[in-house]
Amino acid sequence: MTAVEAVALRRTYDLGRGRGGGQREVVALHALDFRVDEGTVHGLLGPNGAGKTTLCKILATVLLPTSGGVRVFGNDVVSRTRQVRQSVGVVFGGERGLYSRLTARQNLHYWCALYGLPRRALLARTEMLLARVGLSERSDEKVDGFSRGMKQRLHLARGLVGDPRLLLLDEPTTGMDPVAARDFRLLVAELRAEGRTILLTTHDMAEAEAVCDRVTLIDGGRALATEHPRALGALVSRNERIEFDSPTADALPGLPALPGVVAVTTLSPGRYRVETTATEATKAVIGLLLDRGATSLTTTRPGLEEVYLKLIGNRGMEVGR
Amino acid sequence: MSALVQSLRVVGYSARNAAADFAATYTWRSWTFGWVGRMLSQVVFFTLAGRVLGAPDQARSRFIGNAVMTCVVEAMMVVASSVWERRAGTLPLLVASPADLAPVFFGRSLQWIASGVATSSIALLALGPLFGIDWTAVQIPAVVLLQLLTAVGSYCFGLVLGVLVLNAPQLRNIASNVAYLAMMSFCGIQVPVDYWPAPIRLLAAVLPVTYGVRAMTALSAGGPAGAVWRPAAAVLLLGAGWLAAAFVAFRVFAERGRRDGSLEFGQ
Ligand SMILES: Nc1ncnc2c1ncn2[C@@H]1O[C@H](COP(=O)(O)OP(=O)(O)O)[C@@H](O)[C@H]1O
Ligand SMILES: [Mg+2]
Repeated sequence: MTAVEAVALRRTYDLGRGRGGGQREVVALHALDFRVDEGTVHGLLGPNGAGKTTLCKILATVLLPTSGGVRVFGNDVVSRTRQVRQSVGVVFGGERGLYSRLTARQNLHYWCALYGLPRRALLARTEMLLARVGLSERSDEKVDGFSRGMKQRLHLARGLVGDPRLLLLDEPTTGMDPVAARDFRLLVAELRAEGRTILLTTHDMAEAEAVCDRVTLIDGGRALATEHPRALGALVSRNERIEFDSPTADALPGLPALPGVVAVTTLSPGRYRVETTATEATKAVIGLLLDRGATSLTTTRPGLEEVYLKLIGNRGMEVGR
Repeated sequence: MSALVQSLRVVGYSARNAAADFAATYTWRSWTFGWVGRMLSQVVFFTLAGRVLGAPDQARSRFIGNAVMTCVVEAMMVVASSVWERRAGTLPLLVASPADLAPVFFGRSLQWIASGVATSSIALLALGPLFGIDWTAVQIPAVVLLQLLTAVGSYCFGLVLGVLVLNAPQLRNIASNVAYLAMMSFCGIQVPVDYWPAPIRLLAAVLPVTYGVRAMTALSAGGPAGAVWRPAAAVLLLGAGWLAAAFVAFRVFAERGRRDGSLEFGQ
């Protein structure tokens, strides 16, 4: 079954009247076509301002489409809002959205009540969720004193109080430390194993690769492509790059001619970047640079926007900007 | 589960936020000597000020009015505390949940009712004898009940104001202050309602406190039962009306927020 289906979805925001008196608006989603299959972890990958949160809000029923249709498990978000609300859980990133003067347990009791759980189910679900996100020990402490990571875990538990078939996670790992991010990935895998559908937005390619069955690249309010994450991974790892400082440029001679080197560019006076096609070539370049006294060496991966350009260039699509 | 039972449960769980906020605002000592002390002085001040201004015969009714008003002043804080929900960033999550917003907000600020009814009951029962009002033991529960009715009725009106202010959070304190100052002036507390021109009398006619003061005055004077329960019933009806208006207002608020994109997560 299809968990989410958006057809020609458009959303604009009104910015009031401009100086010339004309109505100004931002188009956050342009005629977006988008689909998530039930039981999958679907990544929505795009830079800031791409329209990810806008799409999540529409699916969460806190924002209406300007035009176009969206269904969640076959229910239209406009005409069957109540059914959609019963089947969707939301976790927006960041620390807000919790009651800081209540304990973790009280927060969950409250939200369970709002989702209509009778008392016994409410108590049981709360304890189960606290254990699941590792907060049982701290459940009687006020959220006020929680670390950022604990708040994020509580948010995740909160998103699950309604036992949702579809879970929307909007940049849930922003600011998580690596251990927490790993635990988070395990939890996502568990939720998927329970048959839930997860829509995860992120601007982190590694995260998308690690947990998603499918990834949709989105930019400028348009879905550019939907791929298996390995297809993206291959693109990312194909080119490696080394950046370094060489104030007098004496590390440069002969670099472009080395096997596997595809480009040498100047980033700023005295700072350069070498792009290679393979790890072997990268090793050779690093060795040479160190011999020649280059400093501040870093290896990086291509940025998301470049990956877009590559993907889009390959397929003759337009960049949505 | 019926819709009513579900709403009441939501009120109950939401009231924990009210209790937690209250505990964070006051200790027993600061509530008793700070808040209650301040409100009692205010009642005495307004009662005596009226006497100085040359209406000594109305001291009694002014005392009743100002004492009842203390619970209304506090009930009107619902306007400001409703806006706290925007600050907490919970609005989009509330809208995304299957629950109605009105019961959530009804429970959210009940601390003001509890504190307000206690304060104004203390004012009426403890200060009353100073102004020649001696309550009999059987009147005491009626005094508390009338206060509760008046506070809840005014609170429901405050909920409607609160929804309006949710989209203009910077106005939250001004709105609640203007509301209670208007009630104090127009609803028969400092001067009789008849003093004002017709449009203002119309406003007073839809505010629960107008009838709450009337019922309390009749009770204190040992008037006939009808003079007490008729205005009390008016408080109840108006309160129910304002509560119904709050349900509608919250739905309109949520739909409007979905349309204009104002249900932001953080602000
Ligand atoms: N409430 C709003 N009012 C006006 N513009 C908005 C609002 N929310 C988002 N936008 C604009 O819509 C576009 C998409 O934003 P958003 O969906 O938040 O993107 P993302 O989550 O991918 O960073 C951006 O240009 C953003 O500035
Ligand atoms: Mg976003």
